[in-house]
Amino acid sequence: MVQVRHPYNKVTARIADELRKIVGEKYVVFGDTERLEPYSHDEVAEAEYAHMPEALVRPGTAEEIAAIVKLANRERIAVTPRGAGSGLSGGAVPLCGGIVLLCDRMNRVLEIDAANMMLVCEPGVVTNEINNQLADYGLVFAGYPMSLETCYIGGNVAENAGGGKAVKYGVTGRYITGVEMVSPTGEIVRYGGKCVKDVTGYNMVQLMVGSEGTLGIFTKIWIKLMPLPKEAVNLLVLFETVQQAIDAVPRIMTSGGIIPTAIEFMDRLSVQASCRYLNETIPYEKCGAMLLVEVDGSDEAQVERDYEKVGELCVECGAIEVYVADNHTTRERIWKVRRNIAEAFKVVSPHQSLEDIVVPIANIPAMIPELEKLSAKYDIQIPCYGHAGDGNLHATPVKNPSASLEHWHAILPHIMEELFKVTARLGGTISGEHGIGHKRKKYLPLVMGEAEIEMMRQIKRALDPNNILNPGKIFDV
Amino acid sequence: MKIIVPIKQVPETGAVKMDETTGTMIREGVEAIINPLDLYGIELAIRLREQFGGEVVTISMGPPKAEKALREAIAMGCDRGILLSDRAFAGADTWATAYALSQAIRKEGQFDLIICGERATDGDTGQVGPAIASFLDLPVASYVSKFDGCDAKAVRVHRLVEDGYEVLEVGLPAVLTVVKEVSDPRLPTLRGKQKARKAEIPVMTHEAIDADPECLGLKGSPTRVVKIHRPKVARQCTKVVAADEAAVAKAVDGLIKMLESKDLI
Repeated sequence: MVQVRHPYNKVTARIADELRKIVGEKYVVFGDTERLEPYSHDEVAEAEYAHMPEALVRPGTAEEIAAIVKLANRERIAVTPRGAGSGLSGGAVPLCGGIVLLCDRMNRVLEIDAANMMLVCEPGVVTNEINNQLADYGLVFAGYPMSLETCYIGGNVAENAGGGKAVKYGVTGRYITGVEMVSPTGEIVRYGGKCVKDVTGYNMVQLMVGSEGTLGIFTKIWIKLMPLPKEAVNLLVLFETVQQAIDAVPRIMTSGGIIPTAIEFMDRLSVQASCRYLNETIPYEKCGAMLLVEVDGSDEAQVERDYEKVGELCVECGAIEVYVADNHTTRERIWKVRRNIAEAFKVVSPHQSLEDIVVPIANIPAMIPELEKLSAKYDIQIPCYGHAGDGNLHATPVKNPSASLEHWHAILPHIMEELFKVTARLGGTISGEHGIGHKRKKYLPLVMGEAEIEMMRQIKRALDPNNILNPGKIFDV
Repeated sequence: MKIIVPIKQVPETGAVKMDETTGTMIREGVEAIINPLDLYGIELAIRLREQFGGEVVTISMGPPKAEKALREAIAMGCDRGILLSDRAFAGADTWATAYALSQAIRKEGQFDLIICGERATDGDTGQVGPAIASFLDLPVASYVSKFDGCDAKAVRVHRLVEDGYEVLEVGLPAVLTVVKEVSDPRLPTLRGKQKARKAEIPVMTHEAIDADPECLGLKGSPTRVVKIHRPKVARQCTKVVAADEAAVAKAVDGLIKMLESKDLI
């Protein structure tokens, strides 16, 4: 667990009673270590990033949240908002103890406005549920975080989640047109709404998107919808080398003139681990890299032409084989290979650091030999997979199972620093979609100057003078 | 080796919703796929052809859109596809389906094997494969889990039974119905898809297969679905909380007594 020196007061029995008065007896957990423990960490596996909260509060309304935040300001207690806890930066970890504010009870879809192609919901709606409800309307929320079956929309907005379909549809923020939230001082405010265009004042909505719970707690979210594409075809393309696979990526978009929904890349290590884990029988042994390309649209013939063109371009780039999945059975089988990489490496070692570096796409091939150098230097595996179409790569250092845990903890910061330095040198940055949280905080200066960080600090200080909301994240105030 | 693979197009079960009043599946708007268990039969047939040469012909009875399933099978590697589509076939039960399929198979002339999936995921009967064998008066091995070689006259297969497997030698021509263990279906390739798109799929009506109209469709079906209902699953839950070792021991004793009283252990 992290040890942090901070100026906050603890949640006392008296404060716990006040919290109970605000949200109701059964929605406060206090003094019960066993029940509080699950809220001490997110999906980041390392215990060193965890920290226990003193109380868990589960409000049901914006007014309750406002009252909690006002109380926290008065008593100088840290408040960390939390969704489903599937984050990968430590964003929902209560680094300074205090209150974890869980939004799971605020899980209603408030309005599906088909005429305006808008959906209004509370932050605790499971992201997948949004599209389940929209299917009957022929509409879709195009954000697609990889954890969509568990994560909450509030967390997606707070982290500006990316995912597997960003090449064509962009990331979460593109679809957020309004937020109602509780400010760090406890005011209920609303920015934006159902208007597609809105330049009234600062773009506060997009400042809140990706603010990692440091600038406000969402209570309502306005989401712009799209017509649901009727047809989707996936190609799983096997290449002998990484270079061949990566060369194909820009060509699909430039010579092919097609923007696929997804272009996912998997290197040899990732492919082999995942296929072995799944007992997959496609001939992966001789393959040095794979691409998973998805094209979608509303016209079957058009989608057919598109995937055929993409497939032929891949063959020109030296693809060994192009598999085509155009129905549920085969589509699932193909995506499983991509989705199970992280799970497969948990079998090798549960100790791994799932990173999400991002570089300009043309620089991906230059990244791969650097990762190989790092693996050799530290005698570890670094599988590399991810969203090649966005240059967003999950280079994931995995602990060597035969090395000691002390050794792993000793080398990991060096690996991270070297990895991030290489990324910066290649024109990239340290997080494309997971966020900074406290996991990557100390590496921020590698890609950002002091003046830039200071300007962000000033925003934080102005909105949250007591530094109540999610303290210790992104940068130190 | 000439192999016939009858397949069925079924709704993708993960997406199926039930009509609460009639108790039937709502098929509209649900993606239609090859019955997943038929994929194992297709794969086995293609492998046998790769090993011994010959031809794999896939055949399906269904509405015109079932052609898509046949094209998918060709994309995987089948050589040809035949679609039985005629209003006269509509509403067929397993008997009438097997009759129509067997009539169409007769039109194919000589063949060595018919390979079916053990059952379809929608009807779940597992009867059509063995019934085809009955109509054609052929030996049948159901629940085949392994293909263990063949010569000009017979195939040797493992047949899955409850407490192990039987090793059978079956004279050719024969019908096999296969289970998942028999093969790992391959994915269709780009070249396969291109070939499948160009393939001509003949559509056969009841006249083309010389079928007796009295034996077809709903009219020719000896079975009737009288009523379908979803079984109610009644689960009871008892929560046992134990804080220390003594309480755990007590809880375990209680659990054993409860299970014994229900004859479960």
